[in-house]
Amino acid sequence: MLTFLLRKLALLVPTFLGVTIITFALVHLIPGDPVAIMAGERGIDPERHAQLLHELGLDRPIWQQYFDFLWRLLHGDLGRSLVTHNSVFDEFLALFPATLELSICAMVFALVLGIPLGVLAGVKRGSIIDHTVMGTALTGYSMPIFWWGLLLIIFFSGVLGWTPVSGRLSSMFWIETPTGFMLIDTLLSKEPGAFVDAIRHLILPSIVLGTIPLAVIARMTRSSILEVLGEDYIRTARAKGLAPFRVIAVHALRNAMIPVTTVIGLQVGVLFAGAILTETIFSWPGVGKWLIDSVSRRDYPSLQGGILLIATLVMLVNLTVDLLYGLINPRIRHNR
Amino acid sequence: MPLLDIQNLSVAFQTRSGVFSAVTDIHLTLDKGEVLGVVGESGSGKSVTMLAMMGLLPWNAQVTADRFSFDDQDMLSMPEKARRRLTGNDIAMIFQEPTTSLNPSFTIGFQIIEALKIHEGGSRRQRRERAIELLDKVGIPAPAKRLGDYPHQLSGGMNQRVMIAMAIACNPRLLIADEPTTALDVTIQAQILDLLLELQQERGMAMILITHDMGVVAEAAERVAVMYAGQLVETGTAGDVFHHPRHPYTGALLNALPERHPGQGRLPTIPGVVPGIEDRPQGCLFNPRCPHVQEDCRQTRPALESDHSTGSSHDVFKKVRCYHPLVAQEQGEVAP
Ligand SMILES: Nc1ncnc2c1ncn2[C@@H]1O[C@H](COP(=O)(O)OP(=O)(O)OP(=O)(O)O)[C@@H](O)[C@H]1O
Ligand SMILES: [Mg+2]
Repeated sequence: MLTFLLRKLALLVPTFLGVTIITFALVHLIPGDPVAIMAGERGIDPERHAQLLHELGLDRPIWQQYFDFLWRLLHGDLGRSLVTHNSVFDEFLALFPATLELSICAMVFALVLGIPLGVLAGVKRGSIIDHTVMGTALTGYSMPIFWWGLLLIIFFSGVLGWTPVSGRLSSMFWIETPTGFMLIDTLLSKEPGAFVDAIRHLILPSIVLGTIPLAVIARMTRSSILEVLGEDYIRTARAKGLAPFRVIAVHALRNAMIPVTTVIGLQVGVLFAGAILTETIFSWPGVGKWLIDSVSRRDYPSLQGGILLIATLVMLVNLTVDLLYGLINPRIRHNR
Repeated sequence: MPLLDIQNLSVAFQTRSGVFSAVTDIHLTLDKGEVLGVVGESGSGKSVTMLAMMGLLPWNAQVTADRFSFDDQDMLSMPEKARRRLTGNDIAMIFQEPTTSLNPSFTIGFQIIEALKIHEGGSRRQRRERAIELLDKVGIPAPAKRLGDYPHQLSGGMNQRVMIAMAIACNPRLLIADEPTTALDVTIQAQILDLLLELQQERGMAMILITHDMGVVAEAAERVAVMYAGQLVETGTAGDVFHHPRHPYTGALLNALPERHPGQGRLPTIPGVVPGIEDRPQGCLFNPRCPHVQEDCRQTRPALESDHSTGSSHDVFKKVRCYHPLVAQEQGEVAP
């Protein structure tokens, strides 16, 4: 197990380097430069433009800029935003709880619905339930996030007026945010109604962000359950006289979850990517919205730092999933 | 009153291309503590018949019978729940593939104790002790240490011992062993068989032993049922069937025994293959392969009829499905 962990950790190093190169290259491939953007419509005279670029260090050869970036990175410095002049890391840290809270809620939504629906569809294979679940999953999977988000807003916020349209909390509440997690902070604030208000703000974005993972998890659970139900040990479990529910919930599900865990891990990356769009639709003050804003301002350090931090998180999550995989699958645990 | 009484049992499978009867017209009775050997080539319907008894057939199977009772309770009209109280408790089954028949995600201790838990109750400690006792009983060394092992940590033979421990956990009155040694090393086969017979003797349970191996049946069984293409073709005491086979198929099976041809290189074989459930011939199912086939054999299918012409005539179980059963002199050909 230890060598397995070390091997995985060693693999992280080249992956991480690759990510820095890609991030850096992508960010600098965006046309336009920060100075021109800041100057806006009025334009700027070429001399002043060159001078400002020089001050920002953006006139040097691109590879030099990269090594400079890498060098500072190795010293734990992600640089400062070109716009706000705050440390990129601090800005990220301040916004990340909002994104994390949204992502967790979306994932919980996807798991709580996706696994039981997948099991149900698998157990009742070929039935109306199966076709309905799988049809809906396919639709959900192919639905563009923007379109889906707008539909939900129009219906639930516009027509029914059940949920707020944007933000994390109504402006009538003013609470301290020590943790950055609105659900926790509103509870701590003891402000009546604030917690419920925070939940109402979370519902639509969580559904929108959780839909794709939900579809993927449901499909994966279904096919995995189908495969497992044909196994000999399921017959053995039934031969013991176990009730059908116990056969499925204990004997089948444990084995069926093994491939599903991997998929769940991979969905974390999908989730962060989806968060960027979702946060933009719902004006959710998180990392995603901040990244989009940084793109439009060509705020290179914020972009590079933000993407790099997210990529690192995704890598760490995948590593954790790999380890968890070993925990729920005894065959792997002993072989390593 | 026999322990198990089956009259005219049939199993049909509903498939995409129609309904196929896999097994028809099965008549079996079994007394307390009796050992019945069931033989027949691959695909003759042995497993399907046994799974029907256990209620373990897949959903697309339809089971019908004029009479199907265990311990004077009607198994077909019994509610699901009552039936589950019998399976694993009064009737237990072990399977051909021990390694895949145990759940890879749970320890063997968990799997044995689970059977005890649902049928017997008792305290957690009692169940644990009972599980250790059972493992000891089936010849697993250091049983207390093995409780925490997973199936992949044990050999095939050990896993089959675990399966046996699980099957006898609730003191069944009928144990069905479906080719319990086929997947094991030749050296282990005899050990497992001896273990089964020893347990059967000691506990006085009835046992149905399915095998391809006529030699095993001769050694272990009091009565024998020979199956061919989903039908019983001959039943009788082991002595009668072995020394005075009446059905040509039984004769041919016995003739293929190595013991009957000492010193000879090649053994006689039965030409042709068992017809599948979709291509059964008209008339007697064995007629295309039968050395004694006559015209009437090709026209109509013979019924399973009592036969008192040879052997111990008091045996009511002596039955054969043939218009022209073997007579003494032909039997002599196959006898040693
Ligand atoms: N679920 C099913 N659907 C359709 N046909 C089936 C199904 N299960 C078994 N059969 C058919 O029933 C027939 C009898 O199979 P069975 O497994 O009982 O044979 P067997 O005598 O146990 O053979 P073996 O010695 O190989 O175990 C076979 O032709 C098989 O194809
Ligand atoms: Mg079989």
